[in-house]
Amino acid sequence: MSHDIKELIINENHPLFDRTGMFFKEFPSDFRQIRYFTLLVVQKAPPEIKEINLLEQQISEIIKNAVKHGNRNNPEKKIRVWYSFSTGHAHLIVEDEGEGFQGIEEWNLFNRKRVEAFLSQDFDDLGNYVSYRTTRSDEHDGGNAMFAAVEYWNDGVVFNNVHNAVAVGKTFPQRRVGLEID
Amino acid sequence: MDLKIRKHGETYIIDVNGEMDLYNSYKLKELVMKMLEKKVERFIINMENVDYIDSSGIGALIYICSTIKKMNLRLMICNIHGSVKKVIELTKLMGYFPIAGTVEDAIQKIATP
Repeated sequence: MSHDIKELIINENHPLFDRTGMFFKEFPSDFRQIRYFTLLVVQKAPPEIKEINLLEQQISEIIKNAVKHGNRNNPEKKIRVWYSFSTGHAHLIVEDEGEGFQGIEEWNLFNRKRVEAFLSQDFDDLGNYVSYRTTRSDEHDGGNAMFAAVEYWNDGVVFNNVHNAVAVGKTFPQRRVGLEID
Repeated sequence: MDLKIRKHGETYIIDVNGEMDLYNSYKLKELVMKMLEKKVERFIINMENVDYIDSSGIGALIYICSTIKKMNLRLMICNIHGSVKKVIELTKLMGYFPIAGTVEDAIQKIATP
C-alpha cells in the first residue's frame, strides 16, 4: 500500500505566498514574547474554529522558528507576519531576516524515514527519528515541530527560494447544515 | 506549569498542572532526571491538567521516555486529551509513548512486567 508522505515544499510562486487581503504585523526577535505575539495574531481567528489551542500552538511554532532559528534571537532583526482566518481556513506567512533554513531536503528525507517507521509500526526504529537535530539545536529544541506542521497545515508548508519565509495554510472541514433530500 | 509528586507503592506519580511550553518544559525533564539520580524506577506522568503542549513539551516527553527506556525502567503517560492528544497524534508518537487512559490504568500497567 502506498502512502502520500507530506513534504516541505520550496516554491515562492505558490498560491500560499499571495498576501492579498491579509493582515500584517512586524515583531522584534524577542524569545520571551513569542506566545504573546502569537496571541496577537490568533485573536483574529473566528471563535467558530474548533481546537483554537491547536491553531495557536501551530502558529507559535512557526513564529518561534523565525525568532530563534531564523533571526537567532537577535533583537535588531524583525520577523514579519501576514495572516488571515475564516471559519473555513487559516493562512499564515512568516518571514525572518536570517540566512534561511538550509536543511529542507535533509529534513524531508529524515521525515520520510520517520513516517515509514511509523507506518510499519516499528517503534524501535521510530525512536531514531523522533527528533530532527542540527549542530545548532540546543537542549530546549524538541526537534519535532515541523513533523506536526506538515500534518496540520493541510494546504501545505511552503518556503521561498531563500528559505527565510514560510507560508502555511489549513482548510477546516465545514459542518453540513440542513437536510439531504433524494 | 506546576509539578507535584505523589507516591503509590513503589510508583511515583508526577501530576503536571498548566501549559507545557517553550518556557517551562525543561522543568519536567529536570525533575525526572533528579528522581533518576535518587534511584526511582517507576514513573507515571499524569497529564490530566495539561491543555496545551508545544514541540518543547513533546521534546521533554521524548527525552524522558528514551532515557527511561534505555535504563530499562518503567514509565506511563496518562490522561492525555484535547489538543495535547492531537499534537501527539500529529507527531505520530501515540505508539512510541507508553500511554494509559487514567492514573489507575497506568498503575495497573506499570505493575505488569
